[in-house]
Amino acid sequence: MKDQEGSTLEARLQRLDQIVATLEGGDIELEKGLALFEEGIRLIRESEKLISQAELRVEELIGPGPETRALEGTGE
Amino acid sequence: MSPSPRTEPDLFSTVSEPAQPEPAAVWSVSEVNHAARTFLEQRFADIWVGGEVGSWTRARSGHRYFTLKDEDAQVRCVMWRRDAERLPAEPEDGMKVRALGMLTVYQARGEYQLSVRRLEGEGEEGLWRLAFERIRGRLDAEGLLDPARKRAVPRFPATVGIVTSLEGAALHDVLTVIRRRAPWTRVIVRGSRVQGEGSALEIALAIKALGGSGAVEVLILSRGGGSIEDLWAFNEEPVARAIAECAVPVISGVGHEIDVTIADLIADVRAPTPSAAAEAAVRDGSTLLEALEGVRPRLIRGLTQLSDRRKVQLQQTFIRKVRAMHGLIGPRQVILERRSSELASAMGRVGRHCRDRLGSLASRVEALSPLATLRRGYAVPLDEQARVLRSVAQFQDGEVFELRVVDGSVRCETIQASQEA
Repeated sequence: MKDQEGSTLEARLQRLDQIVATLEGGDIELEKGLALFEEGIRLIRESEKLISQAELRVEELIGPGPETRALEGTGE
Repeated sequence: MSPSPRTEPDLFSTVSEPAQPEPAAVWSVSEVNHAARTFLEQRFADIWVGGEVGSWTRARSGHRYFTLKDEDAQVRCVMWRRDAERLPAEPEDGMKVRALGMLTVYQARGEYQLSVRRLEGEGEEGLWRLAFERIRGRLDAEGLLDPARKRAVPRFPATVGIVTSLEGAALHDVLTVIRRRAPWTRVIVRGSRVQGEGSALEIALAIKALGGSGAVEVLILSRGGGSIEDLWAFNEEPVARAIAECAVPVISGVGHEIDVTIADLIADVRAPTPSAAAEAAVRDGSTLLEALEGVRPRLIRGLTQLSDRRKVQLQQTFIRKVRAMHGLIGPRQVILERRSSELASAMGRVGRHCRDRLGSLASRVEALSPLATLRRGYAVPLDEQARVLRSVAQFQDGEVFELRVVDGSVRCETIQASQEA
């Protein structure tokens, strides 16, 4: 799912992985570490929100290209 | 039945009358073959005949000609192209089969034959199994079944594609699972017929369209349960090749646990059912939340360690700098002290010189004082306002004034003031 920042959950989690590895590696400036820490916390919050508040979107591929339309009648 | 004989032949007439009589009616060959054909087709319209296949021939017309035989007998068979095209596989000679058809007569030759509409191999799934093995063998020879071809499915796909029937239960099953586990997912469905003539091509096109749309990261190919015949489209080569060439990894979930299709063998991941395919496609959000829960303390620990390490580094840097300053200052300190005492003594010298000058100035100032004049015997008259009386005109007769001398003052009165001529 893309959000307003155009970043997917997968991209977020990958970035989070990177941040944890960098922080735990310890080979960076404290300033940089602090910025990474803040980014990491933000990513966790966003991911948690995305996971717990999202609503499934179901579309139908209509043409030979990537055009889609909402698919009706697939709800619970 | 036409043309029907006008009279029944009398079996006993020949006995009583040995001479050849004039026949009551003569049938033409065509008539008799036609009559036989009509009779057989009505009497044996729908019969199953079991036997071994022999002389299987595929004519240019697409019709198949063969025989069915047992130890003692054989019967000619034909299968018209339209029916033969539905065969999953061409049977091999000697194969035991059963055929559903109608007895008829090939009138041009007067030969009777079985017109076969349906042919099944004996044993479990018969010809289907044979066809399956043949396709599998071909694809295997091309290396399409190589496990090394299998691609990894993305861990957290943002978009999932589904190729399935829009009417089927499989779609509902897949959506239910994705909604429960990963509701942040965007699902894009491409509907396709999943059984019947032409469905394999339709599925293959759907896979190609959705996989190549650039809109999905993984594709689920699914269909609910059914007989091997129902699921057959998933065993056909167009579907197999579409999966192999699909731009994104394919997860198959076709039929039930026990059904294994060619599509399953080619797919990057084979799931036993549509629901299982959905589970293979998306991670469960709740386990993801748990995993995220564990990341926060790691971030905190990482930062703390980083800052501790920085603190130590800073302390060491500080100590190093202080030492460096000491090294820099040490030799100069002596000079500095000497200079400062030099400065102090210089200041002292200046002070003394000033005092001397001040003394001589004071004595010169003293020489100018009126007291010195008075000491030489002069006196100064002052009026009551202590103003110096310098002129005769300032003195009035009888007026009192003060005469200031060197060691005191004298009270005086003017008796007479006279101006010098």
